Amino acid sequence: MKLALLTERFYDLVAPDIPNEWDVEEVLDPLVDEPDSVCEAILGHIPVIWPVSHSLCFDFLRLLPETLQHLQLEQIPRWIGITLDHYETDGLRTAQRFMQDDIQNYLLKLAGSGGLTLSSVEKKLLPYIRGVAERDLNISPARQIYTDTSSIYMPEELNFFSNNKDNFLLYKLTLTFQWGFINRGSFINRPPVNLIQPQKDDDSNWLSSFIESFDEPLLARDIYHSLESIRVRFFLEQDLPGLIRAAKKQIFPSLSVRNTHHPLNRLQHVLIAEDNVLHKQLGAFIGESNAENYLLGYASAYDSVTLTTALYKKLTKDLTDYIPIEPYPFQGVLKLQAVATARNIREQKMGEQFTDLMAAHLLSLSKDELKDIFQEDKRDSANRGLAESDITMIMDSEFAQTADMEKEAPLLVTINNEEVEMPEELESFSKNFLDEFGHLPVQFLSAAAGKAGQEMLEHAVSGINEAMPVITDTLLYDEWDYRRQGYRKNWCSLHLKELKPIRSSFIQNTLKTYHGLTTRLRHQFEMMRNQERFVKRQREGDDIDFDALVESISDSRAGIASSDRLFIRLKRDNRDIAVLFLVDMSNSTAGWVNNALKESLVLMAEAMEVLGDRYGIYGFSGMRRSRCELFHVKHLTEPYGDAVKERIGSIAPSEYTRMGPPIRHATELLKDVDAKVRIIITLTDGKPEDYDDYKGEYAIEDTRHALLEAKTADIHPFCITIDHQARDYMQHMYGPANYIFIDNVRKLPLRIPEIYRVLTS
Amino acid sequence: MKTVEQRLEEHLITEKPYYLASGKEIEIALSAHKNGLPLLLKGPTGCGKTRFMQFLAWKLQRPLITVSCHDDLSTSDLVGRFLIRSGEAVWTDGPLTLAVRAGAICYLDEIVEARKDTTVVIHPLADDRRELPIEKLGELLSAPPEFMICVSYNPGYQSVLKDLKPSTRQRFVAISFNYPAPELEAEIVCRESGVSKKLASSLVKLAGMTRSLKESGLAEGASTRLLIQTGLLVEDGIDIHTACRTALIEPLSDDPELLAALEEMVSSIF
Repeated sequence: MKLALLTERFYDLVAPDIPNEWDVEEVLDPLVDEPDSVCEAILGHIPVIWPVSHSLCFDFLRLLPETLQHLQLEQIPRWIGITLDHYETDGLRTAQRFMQDDIQNYLLKLAGSGGLTLSSVEKKLLPYIRGVAERDLNISPARQIYTDTSSIYMPEELNFFSNNKDNFLLYKLTLTFQWGFINRGSFINRPPVNLIQPQKDDDSNWLSSFIESFDEPLLARDIYHSLESIRVRFFLEQDLPGLIRAAKKQIFPSLSVRNTHHPLNRLQHVLIAEDNVLHKQLGAFIGESNAENYLLGYASAYDSVTLTTALYKKLTKDLTDYIPIEPYPFQGVLKLQAVATARNIREQKMGEQFTDLMAAHLLSLSKDELKDIFQEDKRDSANRGLAESDITMIMDSEFAQTADMEKEAPLLVTINNEEVEMPEELESFSKNFLDEFGHLPVQFLSAAAGKAGQEMLEHAVSGINEAMPVITDTLLYDEWDYRRQGYRKNWCSLHLKELKPIRSSFIQNTLKTYHGLTTRLRHQFEMMRNQERFVKRQREGDDIDFDALVESISDSRAGIASSDRLFIRLKRDNRDIAVLFLVDMSNSTAGWVNNALKESLVLMAEAMEVLGDRYGIYGFSGMRRSRCELFHVKHLTEPYGDAVKERIGSIAPSEYTRMGPPIRHATELLKDVDAKVRIIITLTDGKPEDYDDYKGEYAIEDTRHALLEAKTADIHPFCITIDHQARDYMQHMYGPANYIFIDNVRKLPLRIPEIYRVLTS
Repeated sequence: MKTVEQRLEEHLITEKPYYLASGKEIEIALSAHKNGLPLLLKGPTGCGKTRFMQFLAWKLQRPLITVSCHDDLSTSDLVGRFLIRSGEAVWTDGPLTLAVRAGAICYLDEIVEARKDTTVVIHPLADDRRELPIEKLGELLSAPPEFMICVSYNPGYQSVLKDLKPSTRQRFVAISFNYPAPELEAEIVCRESGVSKKLASSLVKLAGMTRSLKESGLAEGASTRLLIQTGLLVEDGIDIHTACRTALIEPLSDDPELLAALEEMVSSIF
């Protein structure tokens, strides 16, 4: 294609932008020699990339000649999609690098070899490790392999082996191995009992201090790590023999025998050594009987501590400077600081849970018991919060004799010298806490007592209006870009917000105005309720239809063949419906529209209460993709009380209309609901449009795609609109039968319940 | 048409069923029976509720009449109805009435599945009245001391709509069933399927892993029953991986990712 024509086409496609003519001609020049069909295909991609990034578009064109050497024309759209994904997550540089350098890798990936990504295996491995560990571990990407006892970190991509089956096994082995460290208690947080050491205030990082106490801490760390890895490997061999068997076959042989110059390498090698040599190899380091203990699983992390001290002496005798040895991939590294941090976070969280549980329990006690505990006559003590000496939690001394009985020992709590009994749930929670952290900080106990005391006081004073939280949660949702036929991942932030309820007479006024209509609606909706009726003259049923029976007897007496339809059956039409109303709160609804919308909602709610269907109401608005807002008016399971009524009254026009996120959120909410029929009804006054580039065809296509997602999840979307031009785009978005246009706003309150009735019967 | 005696004989358990107690459930049940109290068994599926009932019935030497409850169960299904035989309306006792008359044990399995208006028919039997009114016959049946009513349900996947009313719940002595402790469970699997103790222990370990997946989307983990199934297949010569897949994993879920994760667990253990 001639350059002039190419340039002209280019400018048409990127209008109204007008990039520099030199630049344009420069990048388009190589295309001149390509056949027309190729040029057309390439030009077709420009509208997809240009709106996202001008630079990226130029880079794309510039790199084309090289790209076309590796990729076929058909492979380009997908490749562009991935490039744009990179751009949106990591920025321009990463995207450029991907386009320029990573094409080989990309091709390998396409072919199924050349590296496995963490994200592709995570979906399988996360439930796997959670089941194996019987706790909620997480998997996160990181350059190094390690665990902090809450998460296990692994590299984003593994291409150690040339085939991905082995790479997967390596991921699985690594994951399980890291869990092994957690399970076997490698991350000691308490000093060993018999060690005579000065009592430190904070014992939680005892292992760190132990390692730091050596002159060459790195050597000590690596010795300990090797010993613990060996212990974990033997444990896994007992516990998950299938995994180790596969590892022995597929992974261990490929792991290089390290330069055995450094003696520690030989210890580390025990991990992958052949069965017939590893006992001897291990014995050479730690002695025959210790090796036996490790092999059989009788050793503990404290044994490794003792052996570390001994081995350190042995190894520093001959060596001067220690260069840290490289661990095997599945071993990972020890990151004790990360462990301490994660532990603290967990301790805080569990502590708060404990406080809540304890406070709730205290509040459930009888008034007399509480009085004794808080000594209510001295009201100051409840106000002040109890001193730590007033509260103790001890194990019943009788039982604490042996380690076994410790598990059975009941925990006693005393507050102000009054014994408080603990319910089973609280007791087992406390025991778990003690098991994990070694001690239950008294601050949680006193916080609980304080909280309970506080709430008691508050109950004494009459109901305090709690401040409504503003943002309760923020969720990320994808957005559909029709140009590239792909999602923009996590593109929109949806903030779930609460409306400040306003005590107003809005509800009463509405009900008064529409009194007649309300009564009629109630009546109509009552008829729609669960209908049970008896159907007579059935061939089988619960009871005998005596009329039919009498007739049949008379029939046979008369010589006529008698009917066998002699029973009555109970027929039930079960209504099992759940519906979410999404109300457009954009600026354009100000005035009459807003009023009409609210009135309709009130009437709808009154009617729904009669009907018994489950329903929820949310308002939506927002500005830009970073601040989409969903306002909670009524949750699906929330009862229709004064709070809901007040919230309806406080619905007010807000900002713009980005419809994708609210619809997607409603789909997520309804997905979990167990109902035969699930519906989303959107009440809007016009086209979807936001402040940024969410408008026109892009917005319509995204909304349409969100609705398709709902339909795929077996949820029926429906739209009620007052936009005069609705017909143009509504049919395309919702489908011909799934929207209804109301020409007069004032008719809204009348029409909506009727529409619902038709929709659901 | 069978006589009542014949029908009852079918329900009598003559051979001692194998049941390994986890706690004091047998003593409690016997005490409840002695005091004329009804029993509520709650627990996940496949952890021994029905087997326990069989054992109890055998121990007490009373016939066990089981009703599997469902949404369409009506009062007539439980109490009885008129059937037409050769042009005449003949009353036939339902399982509940049969049990009351014979002083047997009536076991309503999965009682939350039945409609609430059906469930209330057991109320007069479940409190100290111990009577069953049969309106259609105009009869008030008094239960003999050997009669006992037992119900079971699985609290794990209740929805708000399907729940026992408090007025129903509070008439019962409730025993909670759960998966047995690992050693006990291994012994049960070993006994019922014939596999070695070692294999049974590994199967129990696998089941334990599946039971921790509530957050990951598996509503209920593998039950003891599934383990026994797996063991039976293995004893018959099926290789362990296939046996686990067909008898343990596939019945648990249809989600492909979850299935893959479960497969990984199997391949780690065996």
